[in-house]
Amino acid sequence: MSDGDKHGAADLVPESRLRESSKKNAPDPDPERRAVLRVGLCAALACGSVGLGLALRTREGHGKSKDLPKLKDHRVAKVAGAVEMAIARGPDAAANVRRALEAMGGMGRFVKRGERVVIKPNIGWNRLPEQAANTNPDVVAEVVKLVAAAGASKIWVTDVSVNTAEQCFARSGIEKAAKAAGATVVRPDATAFREVDVSGKLLRTGDVLFPFVEADKIINVPVVKQHGLSGATGALKNWYGVLGGQRVKLHQNIHLSIVDLAAMIKPTLTVMDATRILLANGPTGGSLADVKQMDTIAVSTDEVALDAFGAGLLGLSPNDLGFIVEGMKAGLGTMNWRSLKTEELGG
Amino acid sequence: MRIVVFAVLALIPPTLIGSLLWQGRKAPPTEKVVAARPSGQEADAALRALFDAQFPGAKVKDKVALYDEKGLFDYIDGAAPIFIERHFRKLGAAELSTPEGSDLVCDVYDMATLENAQSIFDKEKSPSAKPAEGFPDAISGPMSFVFHHSRYYTKLTAFDAKAEAVLPAVARTLKEKMK
Repeated sequence: MSDGDKHGAADLVPESRLRESSKKNAPDPDPERRAVLRVGLCAALACGSVGLGLALRTREGHGKSKDLPKLKDHRVAKVAGAVEMAIARGPDAAANVRRALEAMGGMGRFVKRGERVVIKPNIGWNRLPEQAANTNPDVVAEVVKLVAAAGASKIWVTDVSVNTAEQCFARSGIEKAAKAAGATVVRPDATAFREVDVSGKLLRTGDVLFPFVEADKIINVPVVKQHGLSGATGALKNWYGVLGGQRVKLHQNIHLSIVDLAAMIKPTLTVMDATRILLANGPTGGSLADVKQMDTIAVSTDEVALDAFGAGLLGLSPNDLGFIVEGMKAGLGTMNWRSLKTEELGG
Repeated sequence: MRIVVFAVLALIPPTLIGSLLWQGRKAPPTEKVVAARPSGQEADAALRALFDAQFPGAKVKDKVALYDEKGLFDYIDGAAPIFIERHFRKLGAAELSTPEGSDLVCDVYDMATLENAQSIFDKEKSPSAKPAEGFPDAISGPMSFVFHHSRYYTKLTAFDAKAEAVLPAVARTLKEKMK
């Protein structure tokens, strides 16, 4: 084929395409505008992909939480006319637990023969019982004994410690006391967690200690303390100790995350330890100068009411504690603990 | 065609960021020994060096753990914000033991400046705590000894009477090493 033929072939191209071709080859009349458009398009695509990625991440989180187990509701049915809160005062912590439980109708009202029960004290700190940062070991041991007497087939005692678990479980005296009373003590090692659906306002999912997934009944055994960030700690805040992972995330909105966790757990019963309370420098404490001997145990199924009672022991108003206010709004209980049918037992 | 290639290339960084964010959600808890930021290397070394002292009547049991702002929540939980508000830099923590096997915990907070250290000391001072005899800017309560010096705020906590007895001497040794 000659050059002439090639040109001849070009002549056969329709005029419209030639115009298009000439447009492409012609110098761009506004190169800056095209460059801006190109950058803009790429930026929009990048933003879109980030947005899509975040949306997918959130949707995946939601979708995944649907497939995860939720914790059971461990509450028992209310009994008409029964005492709703019992407060026992006296020098013997174990006797206070027994007396308060008796006033509530006995442990048999809450735990049935053959059930598996998890007991959750505060074992967060490398501190002695006298330093009042953890639940009193005598209180924990007495709860274990009462649960065993009610016929439980399995009793776990566990917590996610803030300080090294080995030190906390030993120094607090709880491991020794709970084992002696017949419980299985579960330390929070990496194999002890199961992922569950939290479905809270802030927390979607969480890794919780396995006894909370497997148990038929849950008993909360917190200690009353001043707390630097939340103002106070007691029943509701004690559920921080079921979760693994970094604590800093939980503290970004402490009051709401407390309520999220409390709404997930729904315990059978709460035995609040105010044998010794930490009035300052909580939650860690250390100095006995910050500790006040109160010789008090309060028992109820209403965690908000117990926290309101505990706030009073610390000299605080429940209205000033965000997690109590939010907990009441979320329907977890009442801050007006005196409105409950209460029995107070002196020493 | 070039736009498509450009768009694909532009998608790579956000995809990587998204992937890292997703993996971060599953990341294990932060290491308790936090890597030093280059600007704070000297300060970290100085903090660690405090624990190299020969303490009268007590010896460091294990390694010294350093905690930064994030890690502080894993050590003192909800007490962390009052330190962070006061420009806390890093915490050095170690357990010491006496020859008889009594334990005490030594927490030294590097608060970056003398003023910050003074501020946290004032904030945490228990109304019922007594000033330590012959030791300015220090209080001693049963089982504890707390003082501030230079940019450091130090809390010593004992677990029995034997450990409590060595707290002032340990505090004095630490203070001598603090510049």
